[in-house]
Amino acid sequence: MIVKQRAYEAKEALLMPALYAAQREHGWMSPEAMKSVARALDLPPATVKGFATFYDMFRKKPVGKHVIQLCTNVTCILSGSEDLLSMLSDKFGIAPNETTTDGRFSLVAMECIGACGTAPAMIVNTDFYENLTKESIFSILENYK
Amino acid sequence: MNLVELTINGKTVKAAKGATILQAALKNGIYIPNLCYDRRLSPYGGCRMCVVEVEGQKGLSAACSTQIREGMVVFTETPVVAKSRKAVLELLLLHHPLDCPVCDKAGECKLQDMAYKYGSTSNRFSASRKDEPERLDSPVVERNPNRCILCGLCVRICQDHQGVGAINFIGRGFKTKISPAFEETLDCEFCGQCIDVCPVGALGSKTYRFMSRVWYMNEEEMICPYCGCGCTTNLSVRQGKIIRGRGKEGVGINDGDLCGKGRYGFDYIYAENRLKTPMIRKEGNLVRASWDEALKYVAERMGSIIEKHGPASVGAIGSQRCSIEDNFMLQKFMREAVGTDNIDSAARFGYAKAHKAMEKSFGSDFMPIGWEAPLNAKFLLVIESDITSAMPVWGLNFILARNNGAHLAVADSKETKLVRNSSQWIRLVPGTGVALLNGMMKVIIDEGLYDKEKAQGIQNFSALESSLKDYTPAAVSAITGVSEDEIRNLAREYSSAKSRLVAMTSGASENIKSLNTMLAGANLVMLLGDSPDTLQIPAEFSNTLGMWSAGVRPAEQGKEMQEMLYAKDASLKALYIMGENPIVTFHDVAAVENTLKGMELLVVQDIFLTDTAKMADVVLPACSWAEKDGTFMSAAGAVQKIRKIVKETGEAIPDWEIFVRLSKAMGKDLGLNSVAEISAQVSEKLSTLGKNDLKLSFNPAAYELIENSSSEFPMLLVTANILQHSGALSSLSRNLDSVVSDAYLELSPADAEKYKIINESYVKVISKRGEILLKAIISNEVPEKTVFVPIHFAHAKVNTLTYPAVNGGIPLVPVRIEPA
Repeated sequence: MIVKQRAYEAKEALLMPALYAAQREHGWMSPEAMKSVARALDLPPATVKGFATFYDMFRKKPVGKHVIQLCTNVTCILSGSEDLLSMLSDKFGIAPNETTTDGRFSLVAMECIGACGTAPAMIVNTDFYENLTKESIFSILENYK
Repeated sequence: MNLVELTINGKTVKAAKGATILQAALKNGIYIPNLCYDRRLSPYGGCRMCVVEVEGQKGLSAACSTQIREGMVVFTETPVVAKSRKAVLELLLLHHPLDCPVCDKAGECKLQDMAYKYGSTSNRFSASRKDEPERLDSPVVERNPNRCILCGLCVRICQDHQGVGAINFIGRGFKTKISPAFEETLDCEFCGQCIDVCPVGALGSKTYRFMSRVWYMNEEEMICPYCGCGCTTNLSVRQGKIIRGRGKEGVGINDGDLCGKGRYGFDYIYAENRLKTPMIRKEGNLVRASWDEALKYVAERMGSIIEKHGPASVGAIGSQRCSIEDNFMLQKFMREAVGTDNIDSAARFGYAKAHKAMEKSFGSDFMPIGWEAPLNAKFLLVIESDITSAMPVWGLNFILARNNGAHLAVADSKETKLVRNSSQWIRLVPGTGVALLNGMMKVIIDEGLYDKEKAQGIQNFSALESSLKDYTPAAVSAITGVSEDEIRNLAREYSSAKSRLVAMTSGASENIKSLNTMLAGANLVMLLGDSPDTLQIPAEFSNTLGMWSAGVRPAEQGKEMQEMLYAKDASLKALYIMGENPIVTFHDVAAVENTLKGMELLVVQDIFLTDTAKMADVVLPACSWAEKDGTFMSAAGAVQKIRKIVKETGEAIPDWEIFVRLSKAMGKDLGLNSVAEISAQVSEKLSTLGKNDLKLSFNPAAYELIENSSSEFPMLLVTANILQHSGALSSLSRNLDSVVSDAYLELSPADAEKYKIINESYVKVISKRGEILLKAIISNEVPEKTVFVPIHFAHAKVNTLTYPAVNGGIPLVPVRIEPA
């Protein structure tokens, strides 16, 4: 056997769900959150940090109570998501990747969320919304106090 | 093996089925440029430099990750391929700084070489380069993130091959960099494998920083002077000084793998206390003397002692670090010129136990380890040994075996590196490995899982059977702290495995194993009808096996070490010590000191002015391993050459030559005057080794502690090796000392709380033999009621507390700890 086969066991496979769980608890990928995942899975901290910093879903700094993740990839842009983004920025007084002073919202310019057929689309926390308009987006956000 | 035939650049070649194009090409002498491939790692396909054209295939294929097929037609150097490589280089050089004039890698940099061959003189793109600070804060390893091309070799060799995972890709896209998790100072085992695999100058040896351009150095292949692995390290010499060590693919049994000792430890020969001239004690002080004067002095004093007390009043201690030739001449001198059989070494407390176990169990006089033995077993059982520390490169084969799907069960009280890389950690009370083995055998016999036909035919089977009656799972569980179910399951799974291996180390400084542990291992092997070579116990140091085989041990009625140094009656009047420092490395220092002080004549022949040398009447300066010719025998039994690659220090001469001259001064010519002549006679002696017929016999082995903990001394002191050091020798290497330079004591958080000990504060460690001060490290790796102490550091005087043991009892040391 020349091409080496590593007999994978489940440790690394658990990393993604473990990071999600840690993020739910800590709110973001704080060093403590990553260290606790490393301890729980018995993995080197560098491996955990490597994973956590590769994926956009894991937050690199603290976020507000609700996270608005508006898609800004091609289809959504063509359907007007850039306008929506600047409206949100104006309304809340924050640029993408920032958090309102009251800590209510964080705004994230998201990569493709796979909703091109119903663009523009966004995810708020874990809730999915599609076919957004200038009107609908604010009434949706009204539900997130 | 299934071979596949294919055509590369018009040449018909054959390679094993399953190989990649790159492997097939390299094996057949066809070079394909690559930046992220390493023979030890899985294909990665990251750099795209190895792209080739495959007939009938659309586009280019990455040679490192495309498997060969019968009849495949491959072209590695076409205009299309060259154009693609040029573009890849253009992109790499967009970020890689062109700081070659101040980069230590220049001249042996893969990227530089490839840019020279395929690269463009201009770049069509523009982008900003990284501007990260160089990281020089960790010992021995320097990192320059700006030069990094993110091939990932360092990350993968660290994680997949070394089993550590100290660094990883942090971030994503252009901003990605290789770093420890939180930008902290790199704190790993400092093997330096990442430096060898780095194709550019992003990782480097800090000790070699700005020391030389590579083309001004001569690189010499040398056997590493430290452990029994017998690795070849490639030492670069500039202006008569060794300034760098590294591993090289295809060189030595280690095939380029090295641990930190092999890579950085060479500089012990430049320690400040190297001896430069002979010295004789005059009016209480050691003063310089000429060789003639010193040898005449030794000859006369030795002669008068022999005359007065007889030759049996003279003893000698050999060295596991000196060459076969040196040791052969020591014993020849003692036996023929002096006439004494009192010859032994520190291996008495280490490898001698393994030898005794092999002799009693298998009737074998020579049992080297098998380098690839770990790769041939489906179930590996390691008993209370961190093989990855004691034999770091051989230890990699245990990790590799596990990665290849073998079951690696490690019985250890401490969470060692091997434990972290195991499939199963059997966490037992320190020193109870022998009980665990007995418990396994009890289950195996009771459940009829053993090889009845073979085992019952072996001498002493019934004695073994009856000796195990007290080792029921319940009893063993009480001793070891391992649950009854785990003991039963381990016994069942081990005995039903397709192929098996028991391994343990035999270090003189380890006090959690003894002869009985090794005998129990041998019993298990025989009980299951396995071959004796499925018990693997390596000899400890670079030439332990060679020294042992050259005859540095009593042949007839001579005194063994414990009788020479620890006996109450002082029958020895003269002691000749070659390359050993008993006052530091031997147990129960007070007893040793007492014996040495009582000598009428103490001769110490060494490369350093050691603490023992300071007590001597005569001190003779010897050449270090890099200053003389000779041979070492590795733990695997390979006799390998060491060569004179640098000039001797001061007036030092090789150890063997000292005996040639000394015997002449005593008027007795030993008849051997060169390494070649000595080698010829030694090889005759060595050629008879391992030729005798095996004779198997069970040896019941009980679990017993020589000293038990008590209310006065409630903790057990475990002495151990750490990865960065080897015996006391490595502590004289400045490079290795920059990683770990001080002894410490590890204890569990619970004990720290109980005894009110603060992390990194000093504690008093007291045994009935004495007390020492050590810095406390609170660690989750350590079980309760136990303290772990590395033994390598002379100034820590750990051996004040310990005691020697050559037989079956486990020599753990009961101690008590107090805040200092």
